[in-house]
Amino acid sequence: MLTFSRQEPGRRKQTGNEGIIMTSESIVHFHRMKDMPSSHLLGTGTPMCAGCGGLETLHNMYDILGEKTVFVNAAGCMTLLSVYPFTPFRGGWLYTAMASAPAGAQGVRDAMDILLQKKKLSTEDNMEVVVITGDGSAYGMGLSATSAAMDRNLNFIYLCYDNEGYGNTGQQYSAATPHAAITSTSKGSHGYPGFKKDLFSIWAAHRPAYVATIIGAEPLDLAKKIEKLQTMTGPRMLISLAPCPTGWDYDPKLSVEIGRLAVQTGIWPLKEYSDGKIKHTKIPKQRKPVEDYLKLQGRFKHLFEPQRDEAGIAEIQARIDAYWTRVMA
Amino acid sequence: MKTASRIVGTAFFMTGYEVQDAPRYGAERRGAPIFAYVRADKSPVNERGIIRQPDLVVVADDTLVGMPAAGVMQGIDEHTVLLINSHENADTWRQRLNTAATILILPAREDIKDRAELPYIGSRCAAACAVLTNVISRDVFTSALAEELEQLGEKIVKQNLDTALTSFELMSPYAGIVKQSGLPSAADYQQPGWINLPFDDAAISAPAIHASATSVKVRTGLWRTMRPVINYEKCSGCWWVCSTYCPDGAINVTEAGLPDIDYEHCKGCLVCVAQCPPQAIEAIPEHLAKEQEMSAADPSGIKPPGDSA
Repeated sequence: MLTFSRQEPGRRKQTGNEGIIMTSESIVHFHRMKDMPSSHLLGTGTPMCAGCGGLETLHNMYDILGEKTVFVNAAGCMTLLSVYPFTPFRGGWLYTAMASAPAGAQGVRDAMDILLQKKKLSTEDNMEVVVITGDGSAYGMGLSATSAAMDRNLNFIYLCYDNEGYGNTGQQYSAATPHAAITSTSKGSHGYPGFKKDLFSIWAAHRPAYVATIIGAEPLDLAKKIEKLQTMTGPRMLISLAPCPTGWDYDPKLSVEIGRLAVQTGIWPLKEYSDGKIKHTKIPKQRKPVEDYLKLQGRFKHLFEPQRDEAGIAEIQARIDAYWTRVMA
Repeated sequence: MKTASRIVGTAFFMTGYEVQDAPRYGAERRGAPIFAYVRADKSPVNERGIIRQPDLVVVADDTLVGMPAAGVMQGIDEHTVLLINSHENADTWRQRLNTAATILILPAREDIKDRAELPYIGSRCAAACAVLTNVISRDVFTSALAEELEQLGEKIVKQNLDTALTSFELMSPYAGIVKQSGLPSAADYQQPGWINLPFDDAAISAPAIHASATSVKVRTGLWRTMRPVINYEKCSGCWWVCSTYCPDGAINVTEAGLPDIDYEHCKGCLVCVAQCPPQAIEAIPEHLAKEQEMSAADPSGIKPPGDSA
């Protein structure tokens, strides 16, 4: 028998109320790390790898969204979250094929809307529908279904945990794989020849209610964005870079450090889109050289050993510099 | 282990055997148990699938023995040889497992603290297999290993070979202990003990989970090879760092506002050790932590260090 006594999500605080403004929707304003929830909704005991950057994002996000959520999960690593009879969730969870999570979300949303209309479901029991997919689905085979869901202005949240490859099957490259990364299907001396697809821009071009990039290593930025999208309706889209010890080949304890370096080097810009405008939410004052980020990961080892590939590193750096020059102009 | 099975398979093949070798994967994540099988015979091998009655079982990671999902003990009987890579001795394992199988130990290297670090383990295990079956010569083993690891470069092949050949010495007293059992015949085939369930409506038969957060029943703490331990004298109580960054949410916060690691579920990623601002979390090898716990819990046994009473 499992029993849980929990406070309302979003209100859980250890001490004090400083800086907390409660509205009728019990919204907490996250000003500093201390405002992060001190107890966690997502059950422990999941089969995700030790040090999973995607799980870090999900557990922080779930703490803020609360248990009145139905997750619609496309095939991927996180499908393993819920393997009968075990689930870490407290609300609903539905498994769909890799390309069709947004279609699954449409079904769940429609069903609940009909029940609400017929007064068979009280507004209090209404739930938020959250699609959760990896980058293989989000950047690739699920993109069409996602585009269509945004066209229909589906009222849902979409979280893509982006570990830059098909992690669950052994890290084959995906459309999210960055240039030069070694994957199990790009093993040559220069790694993956292509470039990471700009999914943020593709999604934003649909003009949905909200699009943001997040990362577990910046929980405050993440919390603020989740809090903000909770006040909106329509498609609310999130891409979280998900440092992946298994696929990126690094010691699991470096997951947060690597995530933070992704932001500090500017390779993972934290930004949001709403009302036709893009805003960068955490601009690194002095961008660190990208090699600080690259050299911690086995998938980029060939840039440093046996000889330093100056041209290769410079090319990656130049793309980041060009991005920020464009943004800051 | 996949590599070990390939080396053993290739070595048998080079010796003139018919061979099957195959890995079996579960989820592709770090810490997931992985199995590999080798079947070898002088006559054609017609059997397929997993090996139900092994002549030899080699366990590279002894933490898997106690894990039901790993199924290490399945199909083991008095004719089986069980070789465990372990810090502990054969007697301890014999008592613990209460099995009729012959237990041998491939001594774990003393210098290895973190059991996730098992250098050259595949090659060591493969070499042990070669000796225990006593049909693969040193030369053949050497060529098989070189062939399987060729793409990793000469240096790595040599390191593997040097380490593997120490297994040859270590295991030589037991050369030939593994005896080939007879081929299972189709007439002996016994159907698995299926349980027939009548067909039900989807509302009943669909695998729906009605309770919440049942995953807490899964003790992922068993994955851990290194244990993060909080030194509360150094801890400054900034739980929002470790508790937020812990990917698994396995750091709770006490009433007093102090972080408390849930060892039932902590997978030992050590993100907390890396992120703790006052560096108050230390990583210690799990087997040492367990030994300390056991001696502290034993009322008749040794008192914990520093207890002068």
